Amino acid sequence: MIPGSPMQRVPAAAHNAASSIHVAHSLANALDALSEWGSAGAVFAGGTWIMRSPIRHEPLREHYVAIGRIAELGAVRIGTDVVEIGPVVTHAALAAALADLPEFNVLAAAAGRSANPAIRAMATIGGNLATPGFAAADCVPALLCLDAEIEVAGREGRERMKLEHFLQIRSTLAPGRLVTQIVVPRSERKTAHARLPLRKAGDYPVAIVSFSVSVDAAGRVQAARIAVGSVEPVARRWERLEAALIGRQLDAEGAARTATELAEEFVGRDGVDAPAWYRVSVLPSLVRRAAAAALGA
Amino acid sequence: MALSLTVNGDRVASTADPAAPLVDILREELHLTGAKPVCREGFCGACMVLIDGKPTPSCLTPAALADGCEIQTVEGLATPGQLNRIQAALDASDAVQCGMCFPGMVVSLTHLLTASPDATREDIRAALTGNICRCTGYERIIDATLLALATK
Repeated sequence: MIPGSPMQRVPAAAHNAASSIHVAHSLANALDALSEWGSAGAVFAGGTWIMRSPIRHEPLREHYVAIGRIAELGAVRIGTDVVEIGPVVTHAALAAALADLPEFNVLAAAAGRSANPAIRAMATIGGNLATPGFAAADCVPALLCLDAEIEVAGREGRERMKLEHFLQIRSTLAPGRLVTQIVVPRSERKTAHARLPLRKAGDYPVAIVSFSVSVDAAGRVQAARIAVGSVEPVARRWERLEAALIGRQLDAEGAARTATELAEEFVGRDGVDAPAWYRVSVLPSLVRRAAAAALGA
Repeated sequence: MALSLTVNGDRVASTADPAAPLVDILREELHLTGAKPVCREGFCGACMVLIDGKPTPSCLTPAALADGCEIQTVEGLATPGQLNRIQAALDASDAVQCGMCFPGMVVSLTHLLTASPDATREDIRAALTGNICRCTGYERIIDATLLALATK
Protein backbone atom coordinates (compact mmCIF):
# COMPACT_ATOMS: atom_id res chain seq x y z
CA MET A 1 0.00 0.00 0.00
CA ILE A 2 1.22 3.47 -0.81
CA PRO A 3 0.00 5.81 1.93
CA GLY A 4 -1.71 8.93 0.69
CA SER A 5 -1.50 12.21 2.49
CA PRO A 6 -4.61 13.85 3.94
CA MET A 7 -6.42 15.64 1.19
CA GLN A 8 -5.96 19.38 0.92
CA ARG A 9 -9.12 21.41 0.75
CA VAL A 10 -9.85 22.91 -2.64
CA PRO A 11 -10.97 26.48 -2.01
CA ALA A 12 -12.58 26.99 -5.42
CA ALA A 13 -15.10 24.23 -4.85
CA ALA A 14 -14.89 23.28 -1.21
CA HIS A 15 -17.28 20.49 -0.31
CA ASN A 16 -18.84 19.96 3.03
CA ALA A 17 -17.81 16.82 4.77
CA ALA A 18 -20.00 13.81 5.34
CA SER A 19 -18.91 11.76 8.32
CA SER A 20 -19.62 8.46 6.67
CA ILE A 21 -20.90 6.73 3.58
CA HIS A 22 -21.90 3.18 4.46
CA VAL A 23 -21.85 0.85 1.47
CA ALA A 24 -24.68 -1.61 2.10
CA HIS A 25 -24.70 -5.05 0.52
CA SER A 26 -28.22 -6.09 1.50
CA LEU A 27 -31.52 -4.28 1.93
CA ALA A 28 -31.73 -5.37 5.57
CA ASN A 29 -28.29 -3.91 6.23
CA ALA A 30 -29.23 -0.63 4.54
CA LEU A 31 -32.45 -0.36 6.57
CA ASP A 32 -30.56 -1.05 9.78
CA ALA A 33 -28.01 1.67 9.02
CA LEU A 34 -30.73 4.18 8.10
CA SER A 35 -32.63 3.33 11.25
CA GLU A 36 -29.54 3.79 13.39
CA TRP A 37 -28.77 7.24 12.00
CA GLY A 38 -32.32 8.52 11.92
CA SER A 39 -32.64 12.07 10.66
CA ALA A 40 -28.85 12.45 10.45
CA GLY A 41 -28.74 9.85 7.70
CA ALA A 42 -30.05 9.52 4.17
CA VAL A 43 -29.88 7.17 1.24
CA PHE A 44 -27.15 8.12 -1.21
CA ALA A 45 -29.80 8.25 -3.92
CA GLY A 46 -29.32 10.71 -6.71
CA GLY A 47 -25.58 10.71 -6.11
CA THR A 48 -24.88 12.79 -9.19
CA TRP A 49 -27.14 15.43 -7.62
CA ILE A 50 -25.86 15.04 -4.06
CA MET A 51 -22.25 15.46 -5.16
CA ARG A 52 -23.14 18.87 -6.56
CA SER A 53 -24.59 20.08 -3.26
CA PRO A 54 -21.65 22.47 -2.70
CA ILE A 55 -22.40 24.22 -5.99
CA ARG A 56 -25.97 24.79 -4.80
CA HIS A 57 -24.68 25.86 -1.37
CA GLU A 58 -26.54 22.98 0.24
CA PRO A 59 -24.99 21.05 3.13
CA LEU A 60 -24.38 17.34 2.87
CA ARG A 61 -26.05 14.97 5.32
CA GLU A 62 -23.87 13.67 8.12
CA HIS A 63 -24.30 10.04 7.10
CA TYR A 64 -25.20 8.35 3.85
CA VAL A 65 -26.10 4.79 3.00
CA ALA A 66 -25.04 3.75 -0.51
CA ILE A 67 -27.40 1.13 -1.95
CA GLY A 68 -25.98 0.73 -5.46
CA ARG A 69 -24.32 -2.61 -4.68
CA ILE A 70 -27.46 -4.29 -3.29
CA ALA A 71 -28.15 -6.97 -5.88
CA GLU A 72 -31.86 -7.34 -5.02
CA LEU A 73 -32.43 -3.66 -5.86
CA GLY A 74 -30.70 -3.81 -9.22
CA ALA A 75 -32.88 -6.02 -11.40
CA VAL A 76 -35.42 -5.39 -14.16
CA ARG A 77 -38.07 -8.13 -14.13
CA ILE A 78 -40.31 -8.25 -17.19
CA GLY A 79 -43.51 -10.06 -16.31
CA THR A 80 -46.74 -10.73 -18.14
CA ASP A 81 -48.68 -7.96 -16.41
CA VAL A 82 -46.04 -5.64 -14.99
CA VAL A 83 -42.42 -4.65 -15.29
CA GLU A 84 -40.64 -4.34 -11.95
CA ILE A 85 -37.61 -2.08 -11.86
CA GLY A 86 -35.14 -1.95 -9.01
CA PRO A 87 -34.24 1.56 -7.89
CA VAL A 88 -30.51 1.16 -8.49
CA VAL A 89 -30.93 0.18 -12.13
CA THR A 90 -28.94 2.71 -14.13
CA HIS A 91 -30.41 4.69 -16.96
CA ALA A 92 -28.19 2.82 -19.43
CA ALA A 93 -29.23 -0.59 -18.10
CA LEU A 94 -32.90 0.36 -18.09
CA ALA A 95 -32.81 1.58 -21.69
CA ALA A 96 -31.15 -1.67 -22.75
CA ALA A 97 -33.62 -3.83 -20.81
CA LEU A 98 -36.65 -2.15 -22.41
CA ALA A 99 -35.27 -1.88 -25.93
CA ASP A 100 -37.47 -4.65 -27.33
CA LEU A 101 -40.73 -3.57 -25.66
CA PRO A 102 -42.43 -0.94 -27.87
CA GLU A 103 -45.03 -0.12 -25.19
CA PHE A 104 -42.12 1.21 -23.11
CA ASN A 105 -40.60 3.40 -25.84
CA VAL A 106 -41.24 6.44 -23.65
CA LEU A 107 -39.22 5.11 -20.74
CA ALA A 108 -36.46 3.61 -22.87
CA ALA A 109 -36.05 6.98 -24.59
CA ALA A 110 -36.13 8.88 -21.29
CA ALA A 111 -33.45 6.65 -19.81
CA GLY A 112 -31.43 6.27 -22.98
CA ARG A 113 -31.15 9.93 -23.97
CA SER A 114 -30.77 11.69 -20.64
CA ALA A 115 -27.53 13.52 -19.80
CA ASN A 116 -24.52 11.82 -21.46
CA PRO A 117 -23.21 8.25 -21.69
CA ALA A 118 -21.04 8.33 -18.57
CA ILE A 119 -23.82 9.82 -16.46
CA ARG A 120 -26.34 7.31 -17.82
CA ALA A 121 -24.02 4.53 -16.68
CA MET A 122 -23.97 5.80 -13.08
CA ALA A 123 -27.30 7.63 -12.55
CA THR A 124 -30.19 5.44 -11.44
CA ILE A 125 -33.95 5.53 -11.86
CA GLY A 126 -34.34 5.64 -8.09
CA GLY A 127 -32.05 8.63 -8.00
CA ASN A 128 -34.27 10.39 -10.54
CA LEU A 129 -37.24 9.81 -8.25
CA ALA A 130 -35.46 10.78 -5.04
CA THR A 131 -34.27 14.26 -5.99
CA PRO A 132 -37.08 16.76 -5.46
CA GLY A 133 -34.80 19.62 -6.49
CA PHE A 134 -34.13 18.16 -9.94
CA ALA A 135 -37.03 19.33 -12.09
CA ALA A 136 -35.56 18.10 -15.38
CA ALA A 137 -35.43 14.41 -14.48
CA ASP A 138 -36.43 12.56 -17.67
CA CYS A 139 -37.70 9.36 -16.08
CA VAL A 140 -40.27 11.03 -13.83
CA PRO A 141 -42.72 12.20 -16.52
CA ALA A 142 -42.09 8.97 -18.42
CA LEU A 143 -43.13 6.94 -15.39
CA LEU A 144 -46.12 9.21 -14.77
CA CYS A 145 -47.48 8.56 -18.23
CA LEU A 146 -47.01 4.82 -17.68
CA ASP A 147 -49.05 4.90 -14.45
CA ALA A 148 -46.14 3.63 -12.34
CA GLU A 149 -46.37 2.70 -8.69
CA ILE A 150 -43.60 3.06 -6.16
CA GLU A 151 -42.80 0.60 -3.39
CA VAL A 152 -41.31 2.14 -0.27
CA ALA A 153 -39.83 0.03 2.54
CA GLY A 154 -38.68 0.54 6.07
CA ARG A 155 -37.87 -1.86 8.89
CA GLU A 156 -41.55 -1.92 9.77
CA GLY A 157 -42.66 -3.09 6.34
CA ARG A 158 -43.42 -2.12 2.79
CA GLU A 159 -46.14 -0.07 1.11
CA ARG A 160 -46.97 0.72 -2.48
CA MET A 161 -48.32 4.00 -3.76
CA LYS A 162 -49.05 5.81 -7.00
CA LEU A 163 -46.13 7.82 -8.33
CA GLU A 164 -48.22 11.01 -8.14
CA HIS A 165 -48.58 10.49 -4.39
CA PHE A 166 -44.93 9.60 -3.95
CA LEU A 167 -43.93 12.87 -5.64
CA GLN A 168 -46.02 14.75 -3.07
CA ILE A 169 -44.50 13.03 -0.05
CA ARG A 170 -40.93 12.27 -1.14
CA SER A 171 -39.46 15.32 0.59
CA THR A 172 -40.96 14.25 3.88
CA LEU A 173 -40.40 10.51 3.78
CA ALA A 174 -39.68 9.38 7.31
CA PRO A 175 -36.04 8.58 8.09
CA GLY A 176 -35.24 4.96 7.51
CA ARG A 177 -37.48 4.47 4.47
CA LEU A 178 -36.40 4.07 0.89
CA VAL A 179 -37.72 3.22 -2.56
CA THR A 180 -37.31 -0.50 -3.18
CA GLN A 181 -39.16 -1.02 -6.45
CA ILE A 182 -40.87 0.75 -9.33
CA VAL A 183 -43.80 -1.20 -10.79
CA VAL A 184 -45.09 -0.34 -14.24
CA PRO A 185 -48.19 -2.03 -15.68
CA ARG A 186 -48.05 -3.53 -19.14
CA SER A 187 -50.75 -2.75 -21.72
CA GLU A 188 -51.38 -2.16 -25.39
CA ARG A 189 -50.36 1.44 -25.88
CA LYS A 190 -48.31 3.74 -28.05
CA THR A 191 -45.78 5.81 -26.19
CA ALA A 192 -43.13 8.43 -26.93
CA HIS A 193 -40.84 10.84 -25.09
CA ALA A 194 -40.16 14.31 -26.52
CA ARG A 195 -37.56 16.51 -24.86
CA LEU A 196 -35.91 19.78 -25.78
CA PRO A 197 -32.32 20.22 -24.65
CA LEU A 198 -30.55 23.40 -25.75
CA ARG A 199 -27.96 21.30 -27.55
CA LYS A 200 -28.90 18.18 -29.46
CA ALA A 201 -27.70 16.07 -26.54
CA GLY A 202 -25.89 16.38 -23.24
CA ASP A 203 -27.95 19.20 -21.70
CA TYR A 204 -30.89 19.07 -19.37
CA PRO A 205 -34.16 19.36 -21.25
CA VAL A 206 -35.88 22.73 -21.11
CA ALA A 207 -39.19 20.92 -21.30
CA ILE A 208 -40.36 17.31 -21.60
CA VAL A 209 -43.58 15.73 -22.86
CA SER A 210 -44.10 12.03 -22.13
CA PHE A 211 -46.97 10.57 -24.09
CA SER A 212 -48.97 7.37 -23.83
CA VAL A 213 -52.18 6.59 -25.72
CA SER A 214 -54.32 3.62 -26.53
CA VAL A 215 -56.23 3.82 -29.81
CA ASP A 216 -59.02 1.69 -31.25
CA ALA A 217 -59.05 0.04 -34.65
CA ALA A 218 -60.26 3.29 -36.23
CA GLY A 219 -57.39 5.28 -34.72
CA ARG A 220 -59.53 7.04 -32.09
CA VAL A 221 -57.97 7.67 -28.71
CA GLN A 222 -59.46 5.43 -26.03
CA ALA A 223 -57.12 6.32 -23.20
CA ALA A 224 -54.39 8.90 -22.80
CA ARG A 225 -51.79 9.75 -20.18
CA ILE A 226 -49.58 12.74 -20.91
CA ALA A 227 -47.03 14.10 -18.48
CA VAL A 228 -44.96 17.28 -18.57
CA GLY A 229 -41.55 17.56 -16.99
CA SER A 230 -39.00 20.34 -16.46
CA VAL A 231 -41.55 23.11 -17.05
CA GLU A 232 -42.74 23.36 -13.44
CA PRO A 233 -40.72 22.39 -10.36
CA VAL A 234 -42.36 18.95 -10.25
CA ALA A 235 -43.47 16.87 -13.21
CA ARG A 236 -47.21 16.32 -13.51
CA ARG A 237 -49.89 15.00 -15.80
CA TRP A 238 -51.63 17.23 -18.33
CA GLU A 239 -55.11 15.97 -17.61
CA ARG A 240 -57.00 18.60 -19.63
CA LEU A 241 -55.07 17.65 -22.74
CA GLU A 242 -55.65 13.96 -22.05
CA ALA A 243 -59.39 14.57 -21.74
CA ALA A 244 -59.46 16.65 -24.92
CA LEU A 245 -57.87 13.87 -26.95
CA ILE A 246 -60.21 11.08 -25.82
CA GLY A 247 -62.52 9.94 -28.62
CA ARG A 248 -60.68 11.93 -31.28
CA GLN A 249 -58.66 10.64 -34.15
CA LEU A 250 -55.08 11.02 -33.03
CA ASP A 251 -53.13 13.32 -35.28
CA ALA A 252 -50.01 15.21 -34.31
CA GLU A 253 -51.02 18.62 -35.67
CA GLY A 254 -54.41 18.47 -34.01
CA ALA A 255 -52.88 17.47 -30.70
CA ALA A 256 -50.44 20.38 -30.94
CA ARG A 257 -53.29 22.84 -31.66
CA THR A 258 -55.17 21.61 -28.62
CA ALA A 259 -51.99 21.87 -26.55
CA THR A 260 -51.59 25.50 -27.64
CA GLU A 261 -55.11 26.24 -26.38
CA LEU A 262 -54.45 24.56 -23.03
CA ALA A 263 -50.82 25.47 -22.31
CA GLU A 264 -51.70 28.52 -20.22
CA GLU A 265 -52.39 26.25 -17.26
CA PHE A 266 -48.64 25.80 -16.76
CA VAL A 267 -46.62 28.23 -14.68
CA GLY A 268 -43.07 27.79 -15.93
CA ARG A 269 -40.01 27.93 -13.74
CA ASP A 270 -37.23 30.41 -14.41
CA GLY A 271 -33.76 28.95 -14.72
CA VAL A 272 -30.34 29.86 -16.04
CA ASP A 273 -30.96 27.61 -19.03
CA ALA A 274 -34.34 29.03 -20.02
CA PRO A 275 -36.92 31.54 -18.81
CA ALA A 276 -40.32 30.42 -17.58
CA TRP A 277 -42.29 31.59 -20.62
CA TYR A 278 -40.04 29.70 -23.02
CA ARG A 279 -40.57 26.37 -21.31
CA VAL A 280 -44.34 26.78 -21.67
CA SER A 281 -44.14 28.07 -25.23
CA VAL A 282 -42.38 24.94 -26.54
CA LEU A 283 -44.94 22.52 -25.13
CA PRO A 284 -47.21 22.38 -28.21
CA SER A 285 -44.23 21.54 -30.42
CA LEU A 286 -43.19 18.79 -28.03
CA VAL A 287 -46.75 17.43 -28.01
CA ARG A 288 -46.66 17.38 -31.82
CA ARG A 289 -43.34 15.50 -31.82
CA ALA A 290 -44.46 13.06 -29.16
CA ALA A 291 -47.78 12.31 -30.88
CA ALA A 292 -46.07 11.82 -34.23
CA ALA A 293 -43.51 9.47 -32.67
CA ALA A 294 -46.22 7.53 -30.86
CA LEU A 295 -48.23 7.19 -34.07
CA GLY A 296 -45.16 5.86 -35.81
CA ALA A 297 -44.48 3.35 -33.08
CA MET B 1 -11.03 4.64 8.08
CA ALA B 2 -8.51 4.62 5.24
CA LEU B 3 -9.78 4.04 1.74
CA SER B 4 -8.00 1.60 -0.52
CA LEU B 5 -7.82 2.41 -4.21
CA THR B 6 -5.89 0.94 -7.09
CA VAL B 7 -4.77 3.79 -9.32
CA ASN B 8 -2.93 2.99 -12.55
CA GLY B 9 -1.95 -0.34 -11.05
CA ASP B 10 -0.64 1.03 -7.73
CA ARG B 11 -2.39 0.30 -4.44
CA VAL B 12 -3.06 3.61 -2.73
CA ALA B 13 -4.45 4.45 0.71
CA SER B 14 -6.31 7.68 1.39
CA THR B 15 -7.79 9.25 4.47
CA ALA B 16 -9.93 11.70 2.51
CA ASP B 17 -13.44 12.26 3.77
CA PRO B 18 -15.88 9.77 2.26
CA ALA B 19 -17.78 12.34 0.20
CA ALA B 20 -14.62 13.92 -1.24
CA PRO B 21 -14.78 13.87 -5.03
CA LEU B 22 -12.34 11.35 -6.48
CA VAL B 23 -10.89 14.02 -8.77
CA ASP B 24 -9.62 15.92 -5.73
CA ILE B 25 -7.88 12.85 -4.34
CA LEU B 26 -6.26 12.14 -7.68
CA ARG B 27 -5.00 15.68 -8.07
CA GLU B 28 -4.29 16.86 -4.54
CA GLU B 29 -3.09 13.66 -2.88
CA LEU B 30 -1.67 11.68 -5.74
CA HIS B 31 -0.60 14.60 -7.94
CA LEU B 32 -2.18 13.03 -11.01
CA THR B 33 -3.30 16.28 -12.60
CA GLY B 34 -4.50 14.92 -15.94
CA ALA B 35 -8.12 14.81 -14.76
CA LYS B 36 -9.36 18.40 -14.56
CA PRO B 37 -12.10 19.59 -12.19
CA VAL B 38 -13.70 22.01 -14.65
CA CYS B 39 -17.47 22.04 -14.28
CA ARG B 40 -17.79 19.67 -11.28
CA GLU B 41 -21.26 18.83 -12.61
CA GLY B 42 -20.66 15.86 -14.91
CA PHE B 43 -21.28 17.91 -18.05
CA CYS B 44 -17.81 18.59 -19.43
CA GLY B 45 -15.96 15.30 -19.12
CA ALA B 46 -12.60 16.91 -18.30
CA CYS B 47 -12.33 14.79 -15.14
CA MET B 48 -13.17 11.49 -16.85
CA VAL B 49 -11.38 8.40 -15.57
CA LEU B 50 -11.97 4.69 -15.98
CA ILE B 51 -13.42 3.07 -12.86
CA ASP B 52 -13.42 -0.71 -13.21
CA GLY B 53 -13.10 -0.10 -16.93
CA LYS B 54 -16.04 2.32 -17.34
CA PRO B 55 -15.69 6.02 -18.22
CA THR B 56 -16.83 7.88 -15.11
CA PRO B 57 -16.76 11.55 -14.15
CA SER B 58 -14.47 11.63 -11.12
CA CYS B 59 -16.02 14.90 -9.92
CA LEU B 60 -19.27 13.06 -9.12
CA THR B 61 -17.68 9.97 -7.62
CA PRO B 62 -17.35 10.12 -3.85
CA ALA B 63 -14.21 8.63 -2.42
CA ALA B 64 -16.16 6.01 -0.49
CA LEU B 65 -17.61 4.56 -3.69
CA ALA B 66 -14.18 4.35 -5.33
CA ASP B 67 -12.92 2.24 -2.41
CA GLY B 68 -11.70 -1.11 -3.70
CA CYS B 69 -12.04 -0.07 -7.34
CA GLU B 70 -9.53 -0.14 -10.17
CA ILE B 71 -9.00 3.40 -11.40
CA GLN B 72 -7.20 4.37 -14.55
CA THR B 73 -6.37 8.00 -15.24
CA VAL B 74 -5.00 9.43 -18.46
CA GLU B 75 -1.54 9.03 -16.98
CA GLY B 76 -1.99 5.26 -16.85
CA LEU B 77 -3.51 4.47 -20.23
CA ALA B 78 -0.28 3.77 -22.10
CA THR B 79 3.04 2.09 -21.51
CA PRO B 80 5.50 4.71 -20.21
CA GLY B 81 7.27 6.39 -23.09
CA GLN B 82 4.73 5.25 -25.65
CA LEU B 83 1.39 6.50 -26.89
CA ASN B 84 -1.65 4.26 -27.04
CA ARG B 85 -3.62 3.93 -30.25
CA ILE B 86 -5.92 6.90 -29.77
CA GLN B 87 -3.15 9.11 -28.42
CA ALA B 88 -1.02 8.36 -31.47
CA ALA B 89 -3.94 9.04 -33.81
CA LEU B 90 -4.81 12.33 -32.11
CA ASP B 91 -1.18 13.39 -32.43
CA ALA B 92 -0.94 12.31 -36.06
CA SER B 93 -4.18 14.13 -36.89
CA ASP B 94 -3.04 17.36 -35.22
CA ALA B 95 -6.21 17.22 -33.13
CA VAL B 96 -4.76 18.38 -29.80
CA GLN B 97 -5.17 21.98 -28.74
CA CYS B 98 -5.31 23.60 -25.30
CA GLY B 99 -5.29 20.39 -23.27
CA MET B 100 -8.11 21.20 -20.87
CA CYS B 101 -10.57 18.67 -22.25
CA PHE B 102 -8.07 16.29 -23.77
CA PRO B 103 -7.30 13.98 -20.86
CA GLY B 104 -11.02 13.26 -20.59
CA MET B 105 -11.33 12.85 -24.37
CA VAL B 106 -8.47 10.36 -24.38
CA VAL B 107 -10.05 8.38 -21.54
CA SER B 108 -13.47 8.22 -23.24
CA LEU B 109 -11.99 7.34 -26.62
CA THR B 110 -9.62 4.72 -25.22
CA HIS B 111 -12.71 2.99 -23.85
CA LEU B 112 -14.58 3.43 -27.15
CA LEU B 113 -11.82 1.72 -29.11
CA THR B 114 -12.14 -1.34 -26.90
CA ALA B 115 -15.90 -1.36 -26.38
CA SER B 116 -16.98 -0.41 -29.91
CA PRO B 117 -14.32 -1.45 -32.40
CA ASP B 118 -16.80 -1.01 -35.24
CA ALA B 119 -17.94 2.47 -34.18
CA THR B 120 -19.18 4.81 -36.88
CA ARG B 121 -18.79 8.56 -37.02
CA GLU B 122 -22.22 8.90 -35.39
CA ASP B 123 -21.25 6.43 -32.67
CA ILE B 124 -18.15 8.49 -31.91
CA ARG B 125 -20.22 11.68 -31.72
CA ALA B 126 -22.63 10.00 -29.32
CA ALA B 127 -19.79 8.65 -27.18
CA LEU B 128 -18.34 12.16 -26.88
CA THR B 129 -21.62 13.77 -25.75
CA GLY B 130 -20.17 14.14 -22.27
CA ASN B 131 -16.79 15.53 -23.37
CA ILE B 132 -16.91 19.18 -24.25
CA CYS B 133 -14.14 20.81 -26.31
CA ARG B 134 -14.13 24.53 -26.96
CA CYS B 135 -11.06 24.62 -29.25
CA THR B 136 -11.24 22.13 -32.06
CA GLY B 137 -14.84 21.85 -33.12
CA TYR B 138 -14.59 18.08 -32.68
CA GLU B 139 -14.15 17.13 -36.33
CA ARG B 140 -10.42 16.45 -36.12
CA ILE B 141 -10.98 14.46 -32.94
CA ILE B 142 -13.56 12.32 -34.70
CA ASP B 143 -11.29 11.92 -37.74
CA ALA B 144 -8.49 10.84 -35.43
CA THR B 145 -10.75 8.31 -33.76
CA LEU B 146 -11.74 6.84 -37.13
CA LEU B 147 -8.04 6.64 -37.95
CA ALA B 148 -7.35 4.84 -34.68
CA LEU B 149 -10.20 2.42 -35.32
CA ALA B 150 -8.77 1.67 -38.74
CA THR B 151 -5.31 1.07 -37.24
CA LYS B 152 -5.95 -2.28 -35.63
